[in-house]
Amino acid sequence: MTVVALVVGAALAVACVVLVALPFLREPRARNDRLARPDELEQRRLALAEERDRSLEALKELEFDHRTGKISDDDYRELVGPLRRRAAEALRALDLRAEHTVEAPTPDQAQARG
Amino acid sequence: MPDLGRAALVTSFLLLVYALVVGSFAAWKGRKRLAVSAQNALLASFAATLVAAVVLFAALARHDFSFQYVADHTSRELPLGYTLTAFWGGQEGSLLLWLLVLTGYAVVAVLTGRRAGRDVLAWVVPVLGLVGTFFSLLLVFVASPFSTQAAAADGAGLNPSLQNPYMAIHPPMLYLGYVGLTIPFAFAMGALLARRTDERWIVATRRWTLAAWAFLGVGQLLGAHWAYVEIGWGGYYAWDPVENAALMPWLAATAFLHSVMIQEKRGMLKVWNVLLVVLAFGLSLFGTFLTRSGIIQSIHSFTQSSIGPWFLGFICLITAGSLVLIFARLPLLRTKTRLESLVSREATFLYNNLLLVALALTILWGVVYPILSEAFTGQAASVSKPYYNFFLKSFGLPLLILMGIGPLVAWRRASLRALGRTFLWPLAVSIGAGAGLLALGAGSSLIGVIAYTFAVFVLASIALEFARGTSARKALGDTGWLEAFSSLVARNRRRYGGYVVHASVVLLAIGITGSSLYGTTREARLRPGQSMTVADHRLVFRGYETTLESNHRSIRALVDVYRGEKYLGRYKPGKNQYFAEDQVSNEVSIRHDLLTGGDLFLIADQVNSDGSIDLKALQEPLVNLIWFAGLVFVGGALIALWPDAREQRRLAERYAGATVRV
Amino acid sequence: MPGQRSPVRLIVALSVAAVLAVFLLYTSIAGGGTPSLRPSQLPGHKERVSLAGKVVGQPRGDAHAGGLRFTLRDVEGTATARVVYRGSVPDLFRTGRDIVVDGRLRGGVFVAVPNTLVTKCPSKYVPKKDR
Repeated sequence: MTVVALVVGAALAVACVVLVALPFLREPRARNDRLARPDELEQRRLALAEERDRSLEALKELEFDHRTGKISDDDYRELVGPLRRRAAEALRALDLRAEHTVEAPTPDQAQARG
Repeated sequence: MPDLGRAALVTSFLLLVYALVVGSFAAWKGRKRLAVSAQNALLASFAATLVAAVVLFAALARHDFSFQYVADHTSRELPLGYTLTAFWGGQEGSLLLWLLVLTGYAVVAVLTGRRAGRDVLAWVVPVLGLVGTFFSLLLVFVASPFSTQAAAADGAGLNPSLQNPYMAIHPPMLYLGYVGLTIPFAFAMGALLARRTDERWIVATRRWTLAAWAFLGVGQLLGAHWAYVEIGWGGYYAWDPVENAALMPWLAATAFLHSVMIQEKRGMLKVWNVLLVVLAFGLSLFGTFLTRSGIIQSIHSFTQSSIGPWFLGFICLITAGSLVLIFARLPLLRTKTRLESLVSREATFLYNNLLLVALALTILWGVVYPILSEAFTGQAASVSKPYYNFFLKSFGLPLLILMGIGPLVAWRRASLRALGRTFLWPLAVSIGAGAGLLALGAGSSLIGVIAYTFAVFVLASIALEFARGTSARKALGDTGWLEAFSSLVARNRRRYGGYVVHASVVLLAIGITGSSLYGTTREARLRPGQSMTVADHRLVFRGYETTLESNHRSIRALVDVYRGEKYLGRYKPGKNQYFAEDQVSNEVSIRHDLLTGGDLFLIADQVNSDGSIDLKALQEPLVNLIWFAGLVFVGGALIALWPDAREQRRLAERYAGATVRV
Repeated sequence: MPGQRSPVRLIVALSVAAVLAVFLLYTSIAGGGTPSLRPSQLPGHKERVSLAGKVVGQPRGDAHAGGLRFTLRDVEGTATARVVYRGSVPDLFRTGRDIVVDGRLRGGVFVAVPNTLVTKCPSKYVPKKDR
């Protein structure tokens, strides 16, 4: 093996070991080693946020389709009501969720504190 | 030097095993530092693989024939460009390329993947680690690019038909596509393993899927173009298993791209989507397996290699594992959303998906039938073009018309009256075009007329979409048509980029129809001075011209081409005789007609010792639309891929309010 | 319409049935693939088959005038078949190459379908080598 090859090889090996060990070198004694996982509450909030975005997006598309003539006036009138209601419900549910999380600490926050 | 290469690959292998094992443990037990450590191992494996790749490139550049791989695939006279691209010319090198692209993609995925959620990313790492472990295992234990030998004086050289710029960049393009499908697969599995029910993984991998799909498409077009100009039989696709190997995952990925849109808009088809991504990834592995093992007798019959069984085993492992995982998480994937109408955009996407998957599966059957037949009945069989062409027409024509119908139909439920109005103009234009084509004599092929009529319908509906959208934006307040148009596209990049891509597929369909169904072929034996006619061209043979080049002798037939009285030029089809490789290659001569988009394709079929020539001439209408379609395809894909600041902000807000912080 | 079972499953089931029907119809008409035979398996087959073997001896004649005549031998074996072929001959065709050609056995000679001769590249990327 040439000198260059040995040097590069050694450098590579060292770099890899350091990189792999890095998290442990940085925090030898981590206060919170827990991997962030969305709990039940958070999953529901995400689902609601996605539902809200979906309804808003669907409303926007409905308007656009109506404007470009893909949907007749009658159909538009028929579809826009339920969609608006769905979007409003999703928004309301999200707000409620936000209120709840502000009032009481989540199980994770409580654990981190104590 | 080869030792460094070997050591680098072993390092990469160990790192990938670490990422797999430790990553799984960390994700399962929820240990943050271990998860980051596994991520870093994945990043480090890219560095190690890169070192191995550089060693191989350096050996190629130096003509180091003590490397068996260099000796097998290059020679001293080979131009530098082809010497370097010989990196992926052989089995071991192409496996190394796969691993390099995989680890490179893994770096990007890890660095940007936090968007999908840290818990999902923690599972993505071991999944990528698993795929990487497989390839690095092959490279270390089964097919090493770094085997050495007593240094030979010169190498065996590269197959002359591969010394072509298209063939040089075709493998990396394909690999960027094949490997790219690993990322959506890993995120889908990651989301399932992390028990997520949201769509974050789709949002995070949307661009990956689109980019991989685009690379796969471009890679195939490059391969087809190479076949057209280099192999030169007048065609561009032979339904060879190696070609089908890339087409099948592309079809599955096309289906996936569309069905994912339904999941985003309506939250339905979750199970279908995750099955599709497994199918696409599985077919991409299968495609690599087909191309690299000698399992299928094709005209590219590679030496029976030892990696075949390994690949088969890995594909079975991945498929079985994914299906078990999906089954276990089935409750999470159920939704209450229903398909509201058979006439809605969701429904057309569903039909499109079914057709695409059906086409992919019939091609798959055609590819594996010979093996199965031999294995079960002892009787070998082969499946030829009529089979594939039949199903291409059966499924392809409905797919073509769906591209025009889909955009015109609204989500959820389209009213039939509104449909009638929106369809009226494109329908009228296409029927008019069909009638016109019949009058022009296109009736010689019924399928051809149908295909052309459908194509016009789709183009008309796309034009209508752009027109209506622009006028709607103008009504909303944008001044001027140009501004309205650009703001329309900018605000809906995915939709209008998608329309451009649809247009490119239509151009492709027109090009394929024209060149396959409306062409002419003529053959004749000519002595110097004699002539033959093909379509409206007259070809006069003037004799041979032989020249000596650095690594080959070139024999060219001089053919003067006339149309009526007009002299169109002298064309020189012929053959090259390569010394080092002791092979003869076919060098065709093509005249592009820029006005009609057609080609005059000249093949020197047989050079006879008495000075005459057996000349084969083909007239191929509209064939250049195929290559032009490739450019439009890239343009459309870029528009759809272009980052949208407004969309990014909205998504960041949606996923930002996490109450759990790390 | 809320409360109705999703038609998605029905559509998928009908489509699968439709595709299978088309597929079965095609294969029953066109047959399931062309048998791929070696010269030793050829005698007795009167239908169109795909013959695969190694070119042995010296090919005679002209594929573009009168027909190229050559002998194919089992790749691993001794049985041979005489072939007469018309049409385009790939550049890689020569004695010792493995080839595939479609055609029919007629009067003891395998008469090939024009332009169906395909040579197997000895190896796409690497000349044949003992590894």
